Amino acid sequence: MTEIMFALTIGILFGIGVFQLLRRDLIKAAIGFAILFSAINLFFVAAGAFEGNYAPYVSNVEADRQTSDPLVQALILTAIVVSFGSFSLVLGFVNIISRRYDTIDSNEITKLKH
Amino acid sequence: MELLFITAVPFLLAILLTLPFIRALLDKSALTLLSSLAMAALFCWLLTYIPLLQVESAIEQSFAWVPSLGISLSFYLDGLSLLFSLIITGVGALIFFYAGYYFDDSSEHNRFMIWLSSFAGSMLAVVLSGNLLMLFVAWELTSITSFALIGFKGAKDPASRDGAFKALFVTSAGALALIIGIVMLCVAAGQILYPDASITLVGDISMILQADALAQHDWYLLFTVLILLGGFTKSAQFPFHFWLPGAMTAPTPASAYLHSATMVKAGIYLFARLSPVMHQNELWTSALLAVGLATMLVGACFAVKQTDLKGLLAYSTVSKLGAIVAMIGLPDQNGLKAAFVGIIAHALYKSALFLVAGTIDHATGTREINQLGGLREKMPAMFLVTVVSALSMAGLPFLLGFLAKEVLLDAMLHYTAPWTPLVMLVILVSTAFTAMAGYMLIYDVFLRRPRKRLHIHHPPALIRLSPVLLSLLSLSLGFLLEPVLLPLLHLAVPKAFKLYLFAGFNEVFALSLMILVAGFILFLARKPIIARITFPISCDQIYRELLAYIRWAGATVLHTQSGFVRYYLAIILGAAAAVLILSGTLSTVIADQNLLPTDLSLTITDLAKMSMLFLTVAAGILTVVVREHVKAAIAYGVIGYAIGVIFLIDHAPDVALVQLLVETMATVLIIVMLGRIRAGIRLKMITGLWTGRHDYNLGILRDLGISVLIGGAVFVFALIALQNRHDRDSIAHWHLENTRSVNTDDVVGAIVADFRGTDTLLEIAVFTTAALGVLTLLARGRRSGGVFVPQTVQPTVLHEFDEGVVEEIQDATSLSTPFTRTISRLVLPIAFLIGISQILYGGLGPGDGFTAGVTIGLAVSLWYIVFGYSEAKRLLPWFRPEVITRMGLVIAIVNALFPILIGRGFMGHVEFDMALGIYDIVGSFGLHITSSLIFEIAIAITVMGGLGIIIEAIAYPTARANGLRGETEATAEPDKRE
Repeated sequence: MTEIMFALTIGILFGIGVFQLLRRDLIKAAIGFAILFSAINLFFVAAGAFEGNYAPYVSNVEADRQTSDPLVQALILTAIVVSFGSFSLVLGFVNIISRRYDTIDSNEITKLKH
Repeated sequence: MELLFITAVPFLLAILLTLPFIRALLDKSALTLLSSLAMAALFCWLLTYIPLLQVESAIEQSFAWVPSLGISLSFYLDGLSLLFSLIITGVGALIFFYAGYYFDDSSEHNRFMIWLSSFAGSMLAVVLSGNLLMLFVAWELTSITSFALIGFKGAKDPASRDGAFKALFVTSAGALALIIGIVMLCVAAGQILYPDASITLVGDISMILQADALAQHDWYLLFTVLILLGGFTKSAQFPFHFWLPGAMTAPTPASAYLHSATMVKAGIYLFARLSPVMHQNELWTSALLAVGLATMLVGACFAVKQTDLKGLLAYSTVSKLGAIVAMIGLPDQNGLKAAFVGIIAHALYKSALFLVAGTIDHATGTREINQLGGLREKMPAMFLVTVVSALSMAGLPFLLGFLAKEVLLDAMLHYTAPWTPLVMLVILVSTAFTAMAGYMLIYDVFLRRPRKRLHIHHPPALIRLSPVLLSLLSLSLGFLLEPVLLPLLHLAVPKAFKLYLFAGFNEVFALSLMILVAGFILFLARKPIIARITFPISCDQIYRELLAYIRWAGATVLHTQSGFVRYYLAIILGAAAAVLILSGTLSTVIADQNLLPTDLSLTITDLAKMSMLFLTVAAGILTVVVREHVKAAIAYGVIGYAIGVIFLIDHAPDVALVQLLVETMATVLIIVMLGRIRAGIRLKMITGLWTGRHDYNLGILRDLGISVLIGGAVFVFALIALQNRHDRDSIAHWHLENTRSVNTDDVVGAIVADFRGTDTLLEIAVFTTAALGVLTLLARGRRSGGVFVPQTVQPTVLHEFDEGVVEEIQDATSLSTPFTRTISRLVLPIAFLIGISQILYGGLGPGDGFTAGVTIGLAVSLWYIVFGYSEAKRLLPWFRPEVITRMGLVIAIVNALFPILIGRGFMGHVEFDMALGIYDIVGSFGLHITSSLIFEIAIAITVMGGLGIIIEAIAYPTARANGLRGETEATAEPDKRE
């Protein structure tokens, strides 16, 4: 049951991210960009090979408890930091665009050089 | 190995010439000597292969490259390649020498020589390569270097650009045909040689030469036509010949080398190379013969029409290339001897003539034949060179060109076919016109009285050396047949043959004399004859029409481009969604899957998860519908936190911690950045968007539709992935079982810092790069000496018009209350403590280098927000993010490399505490000093530094270049006013 909820949430978040990217407001587009990242991270954690009721620690494994999948978690851990890095780059772009073009409406930015 | 080295030498020379200290060390004449001596050394080295090749038929040296595709880096030297490589290196040495005196400007000379040596290396690779696919790569390299050389003066001269483009257009179009032909040929050879299909593609020349049955293969017609197209375009055969006269915009040494002696013979080389396996078929021979003869005639007739000295030489080159191609096309390879003698003779006399043309151009400043004349007294050496070379071209006994014409006529006389008389006529007319061109060169340029006074600027004396040597060879080689030419020719020509400079007063000799006389008569009566030479269609014109059509098509397509990236994105995503649905991919995938949940029971944790999921969706919708950017940013923060809680519920405490910290940082960053964007801009955006524009409703429906489609597709795929994920064989189990071996309890931490450490190393590098990207974007032109220059703000000396300063003070004061200041000061040491504990005890619980770095980074960000850029900089003088980041990366890399020294491999696990004997001491504090720990420290430092770079760059005060800030914008947040 939770799978379908996860999938639905991921789908909706993805749709929202895409919608924001397609709009004219660059700040909201940047936020949409970040939402896309979140949706993907959410998908990864949900897509672990198995579920468990304990965090993935060796002590839990040795106590014969079913732990969650550590691999996807390790993948997302670094992905979160890297996506933050690219998000800050996007924000940097929006910032510099607002300074150079004096607008954040992507429709008003028609020239590469301003 | 030696052949690889021989091919590499010119490339190494080119690299050497690019090095600044070499240019500082050696002047132009030293470099000239060095480069031409290098080529001469290669020439001598290649000569030493002659005795070896007399014993063995070929030398092959091979290095595996892509063995699965039959591609190897292999070199193949037989008589044919030896002949060509001797021409490339020998003529190359002379032309490299000449170029040193042709260019006055040493930086221009350097640039030219870099390209010319690269070309020489590429050309050597063409003739020495032992694999057809590698040959193709070298073939294309010659096209590219040729492009650069033809367009050498392109910066100033549009004709030069035009010529370069034309040459590239024609030869690379031909190369496209060639690569298809080569691949088909290689596959066909594979089918013939390995009928059991154990090897599908045979590229090695030595193997292909054994595939005798190629001429009977089903694809023969196709690959023959394609390969012929490739060779014809490269060797300037009719109707593709027009690029060669256009290529005369190249500096003359390049014309002499590429466009007469070497590159244009690449196609001929390919034909000669494949001739043993291809010549049994009529198509191959008759196409070569017909096209070659047509080219010969067209080139010879047009040569005499040219008024440009180099144009004349170019067309006569076209003519000679046609003659050589026709010789290769004679049945049973009877013409190969004539072709090779022709190649040698032509390389010698034509490059000498080109060098003369270059010298005259250099001396008089013009190449127009009409303006030249009477140069005999002024340039006696060039006159003698021209006499020898032009008469060699005309075929005067007993120069080398005479020998070439003798063997050509002899080969033709043995050719019997219904159309032999016609062929003979074409050859006689062409050679007569060629002789006429030779006479014109001597008379018009050197003997007749000049139309106007020529001002002669004498070039350096050594410029004469190369043309003189070349003409001496034209003069003497005919007599040195036995010791010099014959051994080489016997190696290159598959059949036994005899060759004499003077075979007696036979019909060939008579024809030869007749041609000379006919040429002289044509020369005397040239005015009316030249005027009558016309050709109904100009190939150049067709090319121009084609180009104009392509430009028109490009312009037409450009009309459909709006230039707005988001429209492109909409089209791409919309098309992707449409394809997914229309193609039925989605429905077939769904049909096979069990998508509906079977287990409908819900535990209390499931309910908690679902409520968090609901929260993310609600917040996500909120980011769309709220007007104000700040509210959208906060709603985005809610999404991040909710996801963090989901991670926590899903038993991923490490990820949850990082997620919560990073989302805090991201939200802070958006809000800080919103403060840096002028309020009026944001206000305009908000009001503009929501009061509506004429395209607004339609646009929102379109975007909504695309988003729903994409979101729906993602939903379906996510559902399939999630419903079918129960795979118990995941490698995750391996990690769970082996984490103990790296002395930690935290499996996720072990994967990040140890098992997949290389990934993490790259990821912190990526993060640093992103941070540097932000810095470059926002801090351009504000740095000095690689470090931010802290500005100390002294309110007493403020200029009220200095907007940057004014704004900064506002930044500093907006949140700077005694309370926030105290909090910031308190938070930083605590953050450090938390960070250190997370690193040291990361193995025992949630938290690791990433969380430590972000925690400290957050505390520092707080300082920048509260105190403002300058004061924060002043109060935290030790916080120099660029230095910190650099340090972190260096530690990470050293830590990754160190294990190699002790034999554990890259990023191997090292237990320092064990090695140092302090295991028990640190162990009593619950610590393990391992390479993983050091890596975690490095990660923390790098992430902290990276965050510092980002926050510094974004918090840096902006001085507005344009725009007076209205009072409302400066004082009030628009978001609050609405």
